[in-house]
Amino acid sequence: MAVEQERFVHLARPLAPTAMGYGSSAPLTVNIQPQAVFSIIDHATRRDTRDTQSTRVIGALVGTRSEDGSEVEVRSTFAIPHTENEDQVEVDVEYQKNMLALTLKASPREALLGWYTTSHELNSFSALIQNFFASPETGTFPHPAVHLTISTEPGAPIETKTYISAPVAISPDRAAESCLFIEVPHKLQFTDAERAALGTASAAAASESRAAPVVSDIEALAQALESVSDMLERVSNYVGEVLDEERDGNHALGQFLMNSLSLAPKVSPNQIEADFNNHIQDVLMVSYLANTIRTQIELAQRLATAPLAGAHAEGGAEKKDEEGGKQDGGRGGGKRGGQGRGGGRSGGGRSGGQQREPREPRENAD
Amino acid sequence: MVDAQKDAPFKSAQVESLVVMKIVKHCSSAFPTTATGSLVGMDTDGVLEITNAFPFPTLDVSAADGHQADASSLAAAAPRAKANIAYQNEMIRHLKEVNVDANNVGWYTSATMGNFINLSFIENQYHYQRENDKTVALVHDVSRSSQGALSLRAFRLSPEFMAAYKEAKFTTESLQKSKLSFHDILIEVPVIVHNSHLLTSFLHQIPAPPESSEIPLPASLDDIRREPAPLPAYPFFDTLDVSIDPFLEKTCDLLLESIEAHYSDLNNHQYYQRQLAREQFKISQWQAKRKAENAARLAAKQEPLPEDEWQRLFKLPQEPSRLEGMLNARQVEQYSKQVDSFTATVTSKLFAVRGNLLPE
Repeated sequence: MAVEQERFVHLARPLAPTAMGYGSSAPLTVNIQPQAVFSIIDHATRRDTRDTQSTRVIGALVGTRSEDGSEVEVRSTFAIPHTENEDQVEVDVEYQKNMLALTLKASPREALLGWYTTSHELNSFSALIQNFFASPETGTFPHPAVHLTISTEPGAPIETKTYISAPVAISPDRAAESCLFIEVPHKLQFTDAERAALGTASAAAASESRAAPVVSDIEALAQALESVSDMLERVSNYVGEVLDEERDGNHALGQFLMNSLSLAPKVSPNQIEADFNNHIQDVLMVSYLANTIRTQIELAQRLATAPLAGAHAEGGAEKKDEEGGKQDGGRGGGKRGGQGRGGGRSGGGRSGGQQREPREPRENAD
Repeated sequence: MVDAQKDAPFKSAQVESLVVMKIVKHCSSAFPTTATGSLVGMDTDGVLEITNAFPFPTLDVSAADGHQADASSLAAAAPRAKANIAYQNEMIRHLKEVNVDANNVGWYTSATMGNFINLSFIENQYHYQRENDKTVALVHDVSRSSQGALSLRAFRLSPEFMAAYKEAKFTTESLQKSKLSFHDILIEVPVIVHNSHLLTSFLHQIPAPPESSEIPLPASLDDIRREPAPLPAYPFFDTLDVSIDPFLEKTCDLLLESIEAHYSDLNNHQYYQRQLAREQFKISQWQAKRKAENAARLAAKQEPLPEDEWQRLFKLPQEPSRLEGMLNARQVEQYSKQVDSFTATVTSKLFAVRGNLLPE
């Protein structure tokens, strides 16, 4: 799943000095992973409003580059404290260095990619910081530094933009504070693993309190089924309206629905019945075994620590003996449990075989 | 009432989406190696808010040994490794500068099919909970989450278990006295996922809402194929998948492993039992001999020899700890609950499939 900007004109990008023959003019694409955006947003809400007048926060982007450098993936970010007023900007370089070292220690395969800020404004301070991040000593040179802006104005949609830069200046002494920002395409990319997490986050977003419990499997299934049946309802309403001539039909949609319907497999009832029985037996068998094993082990645990009546009445050496006897008893119990469990164990082995037994014919049948 | 409050320093764990995403990302990228990291946040009014997380550094094992199991065990031991405590303090100090809650509230780990209950887990959580009672262990189950619903659970050690673990006594006798059973090792804390306002509005934008309420109808089939309608992230349709075999196989493997563990634990105890019986037999023989000797000396009007010397001469074997067995039992309980919940969803799905495919 990727949220992508609709259309984008790729222009050959102006390059940082290509003296080393490294740079290529291949287009650059930025993939942003959701947790990077999440942490930028988190950083934006934790902005310090007391002693700095700046309305934006800045931080560094960390992630990976593809081998030819044409694609970068922003995996994580960290915040950098900075102060900004009318005529000067101050970035905590020391902090940035330390934090980068700490971050890279935990994920050695990643590298500094660029920086982010939480307003769309590009000014001479932006250029200054951009040049800092793109410089050979402290930044990403020879790769271009990526600048990500994300608007966090209340009441407006949250937009993200990505830029790279080229050195441009009217005179050499102003080179440090000027550069040419060029917008590059980016997309928000989710991997499968993040989908479930994002689903839970969206569930929280959909509720009034902005919070949602982590649901159990069966609840998640119920929700999914409800939503599927809602969708089917909508489709069948649409079809009904077309049939009743309340709406104009659409050939493409009709074709698409026909194609979808024809995906329903044609299998003989016997086959379905057999497959169904095989599968359900597998499931129930494993469930039964798991619970049997649990009971066995719980029993063994209980027997091992069960006190024997009258164990405390005796004294001295006899008590020792008695205790030994008692422990023998306990152990005997354990042993009995053990044998039972031994049985359970061989049963487990056998059951493994059993499961495989119905499975194999089925696989053959498939 | 006071006791109840003391037992539970917080009622639920409120996890920011940011933390969820970070944990999921870290765990799934490290999969199948175990991944661990630290959690920061604060607690307010009985709710433990977890507001940020960062991973622990992993040693580069490919250079050293290249064994996956080694990497996992190293990562599992990471939360209590000395170097990582320093790392954690350093990181928290840096995070404090950018207004992140600078209190450590626990740690997280990844798991496969719920196989997280082991000595290492207990030790880590003990390590954290000893210093600060308000800490929690978040467990993210990578393989279960890939089947649909997110599996993220929070655990802490029960006070009784903390006391027992502090004394490191898990003999039959002490367990009988404290009535501690494997049910009481871990307390599960409900997990709530929470978003900030800004994040809520961001989430409502993915996938982007249509620009106008009237969507132009597609002109051809290819139009639909070219731009498939984006599915909403919630509810997740992955849960409708009916693949069951991988889950069953994995569960059976894990159960067999547990049985092996239980069996070896049992063997240890039986060995101890035999040793004990042998020693005790020797002691009673010695005692009988000494008694007979004393009787002879008494008859000869001599001083009787002391009868409790056997305590010096013989050493009873040490009883093996019951902790392993308890943890194993708890682990099996965890598996079987997991299977139960899987059975519940899968049977309903299977019946639904049959109901739709079989003509009445």
